[in-house]
Amino acid sequence: MKILVGIDVQPIDEVEASMSEFGSRYTRRLFTDHELQSCGENPRTAASGLAGRFAAKEAVLKILDLQGTIPSWKEIEVRRTEGGRPEIVLSGGAADLARRQGVEQMSLSLSHGGGIATAAVVAQLAQRPTGTSQ
Amino acid sequence: MSDVDATIRKVLETHGRLPVSASALKDDDDLYQSGLSSHASVNVMLALEDAFDVEFPDALLRKGTFQSVAAIREALESLGVVVGPG
Repeated sequence: MKILVGIDVQPIDEVEASMSEFGSRYTRRLFTDHELQSCGENPRTAASGLAGRFAAKEAVLKILDLQGTIPSWKEIEVRRTEGGRPEIVLSGGAADLARRQGVEQMSLSLSHGGGIATAAVVAQLAQRPTGTSQ
Repeated sequence: MSDVDATIRKVLETHGRLPVSASALKDDDDLYQSGLSSHASVNVMLALEDAFDVEFPDALLRKGTFQSVAAIREALESLGVVVGPG
């Protein structure tokens, strides 16, 4: 079994400043409806959650072999399971990249502290990526 | 330096969070190597949209679009921004 790890950090105040300056143009460009709803409407607490989600998207991008193309930010989505655990859901070009690379499963952990949001993603890869002939 | 170049550098100065002055960057200097983060590049993109009254389509939301001052200028030209002589 092959494992890949991606990790990223995002200062929360930078997200708060972007929300303050660009408003929904910023949030709608980066985050899905589900992500925005999950983080609530209070700008201060929302910034913390959104910073974690941005870090998660970046962590996933570090795992995927982008081959010069970066998927849309919203094609990498952080969802909450019924039990409250965060999980990565890919769609569109991000899902295609992951499938071609043989990514079978991703696990996500989010943390916040000291003004920084952190995301760590572990991906389990198939022995042989989808679409290979050997 | 054209007005477009001056505006690009001003946007980089105010939104790029670069550890170096944007005015000191050469046209082809790699902005990511110079300290531009992915998050800051989103802010640069939104500020460029405001400054030039354009909208970057998803197809241009690639790392390469914001790789250098020259690459940004090229992207703006593709969006219809007229770049005058430098």
